Amino acid sequence: MIVAEKKPIEEIIDQVKDFQKLLIAGCNECVTVCEAGGKKEVGILASALRMYFMNEGKKVEIDEVTLERQCDHEYLEEIRDRIDKYDAVLSLACGVGVQFMAEKYFSTPVFPGVNTCFMGAAEERGVWSERCQACGQCILGETAGICPISRCAKRLLNGPCGGSTKGKCEISKDLDCAWQLILDRLKELDRLDDYEKIMPIKDWSTERAGGPRKVVREDVRL
Amino acid sequence: MSLEAKIKSGEFVVLGEFEPPKGADFSRFLNNAKQIKGRVDALVVPEMGNAVMKASSLGSCAFLKQHGIETVFQVCCRDRNRLALQADILAAGALDILNIMAVPGEEITHGDHPQARLVNDLDLIQLLETIQRLKIGKDLAGVELSGSPKFCVGSTVNAGAFGGVRDIEMENLNKMIDLGVQFLITTPVFDLHRFQQFIKHIDTSKGAVIPTVLLLKSAGMARYIDRNIKSISIPKEMIRDIQKAPDKLKQCIQLTAEIIGHLKEMGMAGVMISTVGWEDKLPQVMDAAKL
Ligand code: SF4
Ligand code: SF4
Repeated sequence: MIVAEKKPIEEIIDQVKDFQKLLIAGCNECVTVCEAGGKKEVGILASALRMYFMNEGKKVEIDEVTLERQCDHEYLEEIRDRIDKYDAVLSLACGVGVQFMAEKYFSTPVFPGVNTCFMGAAEERGVWSERCQACGQCILGETAGICPISRCAKRLLNGPCGGSTKGKCEISKDLDCAWQLILDRLKELDRLDDYEKIMPIKDWSTERAGGPRKVVREDVRL
Repeated sequence: MSLEAKIKSGEFVVLGEFEPPKGADFSRFLNNAKQIKGRVDALVVPEMGNAVMKASSLGSCAFLKQHGIETVFQVCCRDRNRLALQADILAAGALDILNIMAVPGEEITHGDHPQARLVNDLDLIQLLETIQRLKIGKDLAGVELSGSPKFCVGSTVNAGAFGGVRDIEMENLNKMIDLGVQFLITTPVFDLHRFQQFIKHIDTSKGAVIPTVLLLKSAGMARYIDRNIKSISIPKEMIRDIQKAPDKLKQCIQLTAEIIGHLKEMGMAGVMISTVGWEDKLPQVMDAAKL
């Protein structure tokens, strides 16, 4: 899933302080799971903002909505009939949702309420970590299902650097060395021979380096 | 006279664009450079123009410096992060390279290593800010430098911009000048009428505008550029003249010389002659243009 973090309230206030009618829009997908922009967070943020504006003696109307998905035309359409009531939307969806909202409602200012961080998973309650950088050419088959691009600090493709110590990465003792994990799992799978193979220089053109990306599937287009 | 002094004097500046070799043999590069030594004010050495891998601008400038030739060192946002860029800029300062020019760099995917990873850690404006900071004696981390580099600073401007794009280009230009840019090299100019439309929006007293004059090689090349590169338009008559000419090379040189003459008449600060691989023809172009 896409992992996001709440923006500091001061930053949010700074973005929306000049509007009188605000819609705070949550999203029911990834940001709900990572507890940054679901219905619950929309409610908490709305209360905090109401309180702030009240203390400032400002009359600001704040409505709440949580859409099934903000990265989807169908669900975004649900607010078309009332969007003109608002001076601005504060979207708690990931960056994709915020942009889709902005594209759809071209004349309404839209602000992000979260920082979109990475694609990852919940390791345990309250701890999320990165797993994929969408490089566009997955090599997990060769690296025992552990991604060195998103999980090795140096994005090394041919084994650990000299800084790997006791299974930990040189940049922090709290971080597993991705290559230690890869080697351990290759051993477990009895595939250590694979480690001997030299991984070719990577083609980064399918990553963001090649410009904004698009997937077009003729077979499913309408 | 150094390039900086020449710009300040208001005399017509002549720059030559000199692509470094793709390879470690610099003998032809040097021979071509020696041919025009003393005739141009400086050689502009591109940093992997069109994202085609070649010897670095810094290395090539240092090489030409050994042979007493003044250069313009190009720093490019595309391939280096802020550490590498600052390191190169300091090294250039220590090597007494007098001129530096910041460029954004063309798309990697259009070059000969399309699989390379793009860097773009700093954008063009930030790179110019970086140069300015280093010149003042501090790096981007705020650390005091032991000795600061001195440069005459330049950048590029898209002379083919019009409409809304031109407004943005003008905004950028003002930012660049505020950041200490002393000369601006334009994209290649063929259509003088269009160029006049562009130049009237620029306050040329603030920075020396130096149009690029590109030596065409054939009518085919001209047609290709005219059709495919949005920022450049080549008048049909020019293409026709090349096509009809019995001696195409002579016609192309003549055309380049004429454009240079017109730009001089228009009161431009100078020209940069670009020969893309035909550096050995530069003396002939200069003869024809009476430079
Ligand atoms: S190899 Fe690429 S696609 Fe596969 S998990 Fe890593 S970053 Fe994602
Ligand atoms: S210690 Fe391991 S994870 Fe960290 S940079 Fe080195 S190889 Fe990569």
